[in-house]
Formats: sequence, C-alpha cells, structure tokens
Amino acid sequence: MEEQDKLKILKELLLTEEKEYADSIAKKVEELSKIVHQKQELSHKVDPIIDDKLEEFVAEIPKTLGPTITQALKEEIKNSQDAVVEALFPIIGKMIKKYIAHEMKLLSENINRKTRQAFSFKNWFKRTKARARGISDGDLAITDYAKPRLIQMFVIEKDSGLLITDYSPLSDNTVDKDMIAGMLTAIKSFVEDAFQGGNQNLETIEYELYTIHVQNFYSYYIAAVISGAYNMMFKEVLEDQIIDFAQHHISKRDIENSELFTKKLKKHFEDEIV
Amino acid sequence: MKLSKKVVLLGHFGVGKTSLFRRFVDNEFSEDYKVTLGVQIKKKVIEMPDGRELSMIIWDTEGHADIEDTRKSYLLGSNAFIYVFDLTRIDTYKNINQDLAYLAKNHPKVKIKVIGNKLDLVNEKETLKIFKEQDIAFDCLTSAKTNKNVQDFFLDLAKEITV
Repeated sequence: MEEQDKLKILKELLLTEEKEYADSIAKKVEELSKIVHQKQELSHKVDPIIDDKLEEFVAEIPKTLGPTITQALKEEIKNSQDAVVEALFPIIGKMIKKYIAHEMKLLSENINRKTRQAFSFKNWFKRTKARARGISDGDLAITDYAKPRLIQMFVIEKDSGLLITDYSPLSDNTVDKDMIAGMLTAIKSFVEDAFQGGNQNLETIEYELYTIHVQNFYSYYIAAVISGAYNMMFKEVLEDQIIDFAQHHISKRDIENSELFTKKLKKHFEDEIV
Repeated sequence: MKLSKKVVLLGHFGVGKTSLFRRFVDNEFSEDYKVTLGVQIKKKVIEMPDGRELSMIIWDTEGHADIEDTRKSYLLGSNAFIYVFDLTRIDTYKNINQDLAYLAKNHPKVKIKVIGNKLDLVNEKETLKIFKEQDIAFDCLTSAKTNKNVQDFFLDLAKEITV
C-alpha cells in the first residue's frame, strides 16, 4: 500500500462525521437555493406571511393612517374652499332648483284648491264656526296649510316590489313610479330582515317634509306619501280608510287590471282624508 | 294593460353585474369599480314583438361569494334570475352547479339564466373548450365593456318571461 492510499484511508476514518455534516449542509443549501430560485416554491412559503402582514396592515389603517388622512382632507377642504364650492355648486343649485319648483307646484295647486274652496258653502260654514270660536282667518289658514295631505299613493306587490297601481291628486308626476315601488320594497325588506323582527313590518319612512305611511296586506302593501303634519289622528283615519278600501274595493281582478284599480283608488282617495 | 317583470342579477362581487345592468339600461360603461351595497333598481321599457310594452324592473344585488348569503327577500317574486360569473376568475364559477341547484330548489318557478361576463378579456374559443371540459353550462358569454351579446341576451330573456 502506498503512502497516498494510507493517507486516504486515515482521512476517511478520521473525517467521516465531518463529511456527513458537510454533506447535510450542502443538501440544505441546495434545497434552499431551489426554493429561492423557483418562484412557485418561494411563493408557496412566503405568500402566507405576506398575506398575514397585509391583513395586519389593512386592519391597522384606520388607526395608523386614518387620523392623518382625515387631517389632510380637512386641511385640503379648508384651503380649497372655492374649489369645493365650485364642485358642489351645480349639484346644490340643481337641488335648490328642484326643491323650489316642487314647492311652487304645491303652492300653485294649493292656491287653486283654496280658490275653489273659498267660495264653497262648506268653507263659509267653517270660517263662521271658527270666528264664533275666536279663531282668526289667518290662524285658520295656517292650520289649514300644515294639514297633512296625500301626495301620492302606491299599491305594490309585496314580494316582487312590482307596482300594481298608483294615484296622485297632483296633476303632474315626474318620478318613475316603478323604481320607487322597487326601492320602497327593497328598503322595507332590508329593514324587516335586518332587525329580524319576525312578522313585524316597516310602518313609516320619514324624509324632510314628507312621511311615507306603509300599510301591509297579505299579497300587497299600500304606501301613501303624506306632506304636512302627519299626526296620530291623521294616521288612524288614513289607516281606517285604507282598510276600508282594501276590504270593500279590492278584488283579485282589480290587482290584475291596473286601469280599473287606478280608477277605484282615485275615487276613494280624491277627497281630503281628514 | 301594464306588463311588469322582475329580474334579479346575482353572483360574486366584481363579476360585472352592475356593468351589465348599466350597459343594458343606460348603454354606459365605466372602468371604475364601485362595490354595490344592498341593491339598486333600474327599469327598462322594452317593446315586445307583439306590440306590448314590458317594464323590466332589474334588481342589481350586491355580490356574495356564497349564493346563500344573498338577502332572500330580494329574490322573492322574481320572474328571472341572471347568475353572472367572471370568465377570468375561476373562484366565481367553481361552485356554479351547487349555486344553481340552490336557486332551482328554493325558487322552482323562476327562470334561471347564466352569463359568463368579461368576454373581452379571454379567448372565446379556448374558453368554450375549457367550459365544455369542466361541464359548466351557461346561456351566454357577454362583455359589458364592448356590449357584445348584452342587448340580445336581455331581449331574448324578455321574450321568455312574457310567454
């Protein structure tokens, strides 16, 4: 045996453990290099960590960035008041225009109605009665103006939200009644579902000067839009009138024939409710 | 005589329900994505071949990953459901058969239509092949962006629900 072979054997005897250790390190390095260099492998390992961090970051946004963003927005609005006004002006302008047009229409219809009523026997009797009680014509007019009035009435299929018929004593209506019927039903369904009230129903919706009175029946509901002071007395009378109408004037045939139904609805509700 | 029908758009969020809805009703499309909260309702009056006018009241509901999370009251009284999925996102159609079975079981009288949307982002031939292989049935492939097949789909649906 030569000197070199002996040395080799000696090496093998003495360094076996170290060699195994070195091999295992080399293997691990190779695996790591594979993970790092192969996108999919790396993504498999790193994605969950990034997802966790992102989730944490998103959850922390209101705390960390929220106050800064709010402050920045406040300052921006404060410093750019003209720009804000410029941006909002067309919208506000349109709203005001629409509101004034609507109020003018109501006023005009009110004046027409009052003119008609002013010379009626009923009105003369009412004024005489009020004077006898010490109520001035002015007070009587104010009370009259705040009186609740039916603006529009919708009969809507309960489940689908499809409009069966509607009636409005106002001459001209620009609103899309089908969409109103749908949205009212969606709001009603949402409220009734969200509060899990079992068989409880939404009864009124209020907005600005109007109240929507909602009365439920088995397969349909009636929504009455009221202007003026919607009080308990008016509510009771209206409820009674609607129940009376539903009991005596609505049949299955009416629900299927909207023209006939509209005529009946008009006949029943064209007079003032209270 | 007044003829109104209720149609409800269903499906995952971001599949393009609102885009289809706006494309059909207003012939508009926007790249801006705004999540629908709750529901929005629009009406389209369609003149039918027999001369009648149909008011199609379309309910565009908010998206849900699970069809059972859709507010049940929004589905009541419907004449048709349009189940929309996104051709580019497998998660929007991987449970389609279960979702359709759920709808059919709970609303047996309602017509159900399936739309694969965002056709402009995929290769139509390849897509058809993949769906055939995966046994996914649909009624129409549309693009709300380019208006491809949108009008025809809704007009055909109008005819079907007024028969």
